[in-house]
Amino acid sequence: MDIIIPLLVDGLAAASLIFFIAVGLTLVFSVLRVLNVAHGSFYSIGAYVAVSIGGWAASAGLSPWLSFPILLISAALVAALLGPFIEATFIRYTYGKPEALQILVTFALFLIFEDLQKLVFGVQAHYQDAAMQVLGVSEIGGIIYLNYQLLLIALAVVVVVSLRLLMRHTRLGKLILAVVADPEVSVTLGINARQVYSIAFTIGVFLAALGGALATPTSGVAPGLGAEAIVLGFAVAAIGGLGQIEGAALAAVIVGLSRVIAIYYAPAFEPVMPYLVMLVVLLVRPYGLFGTAQARRI
Amino acid sequence: MLVLHNARVEFGGHTVLRDVSFELPQGRTTVMIGRNGAGKTTTLRTIMGLLPLSAGRITIDGQDLAEVPDHGRAALGIGYAPEDRRMIPGFTVEENLLLPTLALKLDQSTTRERLGSVYELMPELRELSRRPGGSLSGGQGKMVALGRALMVATRVILLDEPFQGLAPALALNYARTLAKVRDQRKDLTLLVTESSPQLLGGVTDRALQIERGEVMETTLAEARH
Repeated sequence: MDIIIPLLVDGLAAASLIFFIAVGLTLVFSVLRVLNVAHGSFYSIGAYVAVSIGGWAASAGLSPWLSFPILLISAALVAALLGPFIEATFIRYTYGKPEALQILVTFALFLIFEDLQKLVFGVQAHYQDAAMQVLGVSEIGGIIYLNYQLLLIALAVVVVVSLRLLMRHTRLGKLILAVVADPEVSVTLGINARQVYSIAFTIGVFLAALGGALATPTSGVAPGLGAEAIVLGFAVAAIGGLGQIEGAALAAVIVGLSRVIAIYYAPAFEPVMPYLVMLVVLLVRPYGLFGTAQARRI
Repeated sequence: MLVLHNARVEFGGHTVLRDVSFELPQGRTTVMIGRNGAGKTTTLRTIMGLLPLSAGRITIDGQDLAEVPDHGRAALGIGYAPEDRRMIPGFTVEENLLLPTLALKLDQSTTRERLGSVYELMPELRELSRRPGGSLSGGQGKMVALGRALMVATRVILLDEPFQGLAPALALNYARTLAKVRDQRKDLTLLVTESSPQLLGGVTDRALQIERGEVMETTLAEARH
């Protein structure tokens, strides 16, 4: 029984990071109907920007508590600079086109971003853990945990709840839901669907960049992070049902827990756990846990 | 007045509207009659900006609609009820009705006024107001679609085959509602497409016949033959 609590805490901490990767991907898919491979790039760019600004703040002697606003500002910066721009220059032209084309376009974007990141940030790994250090540790049931990990769990819950409130109770949320349900009728009722797509894509970029930024204090950033993120993100989004935000949350918890259980009992299996879970879930429910045949496009 | 000047629409190498010209005078009811596939839905969708013109112009009171983005039709007061109802399933009936006021950022008093007037015209919608849009029957959906178009329509309302698929009693009810709309909104310009125009006899001012993408003036009496 002693193992239950550490398993849960570790599992949920892992789940929260996984959730941040998948939630933006699934949001963008549900609104734009585009499977965005470049999502992984926004994740790693968010990480690089957070580490760079964080490193600058540390060398300037600023308070380590500023790390938290810096993580948030980094994600907002990436979203504001890249979201509307990438949507208007590339993604927009793939709406309603065959999935293969969408994947090729976003994969090309991903490759371009990979090289740009190496060009700008170099190929060495970067670390900036001020946010983790300053929060210290807690003891739960005799085991030491990083408070930063607990913060991540809380933040993931905040994101799930905020997205739900945004969708159900705000003007923007209702316009997004209407466009998701019926883009054409939405336009005839006065909704600027193009703007809704741009905003939804930018929110997706923000969530990806935030995920990347939040991951840096514990794991740093190095080339290849974006590829890891997108593969894992796809698996989790598929398990939850593509386009299902709550589904992504549940899938992240399942994958997080399964990874931690593997670490405890069969460490060699840890890297394949997300895909084993995906295999089992998709065999039983081909459209994911929360998915329907209609919502699925690929 | 809404005017089509030599409007041409092509897709997939086929011309589906052939240089169509007609006027919809303000405050009048025009019915467009034609077989399935003649171009009725295409005409309405083109006016709404959902299909691009390959030649010609569409103007409303002299303003060229080419200068207005597709979603800008609603702000100009052009309401549209597509043939297949198209409710937002996750929204209640009232949320469906209010969606355009949300999109157009109408103030509270205008919103309340428009909703009140739609409920007054169609009291049955008030009873359905809490029902999810996805749970409506075909006839109820048609009424809500009409109500939603009326929430937008201050100048023109376009109704695509409103009687299609309605049971006779419901069709009669719909026709009565249309007569009430005609009576209470004297300035509103109506364009109704129909393959069987009998139900519209009472409210129609003029009839257009559309055949293979070409439009000509006709009379209801002629169209019945």
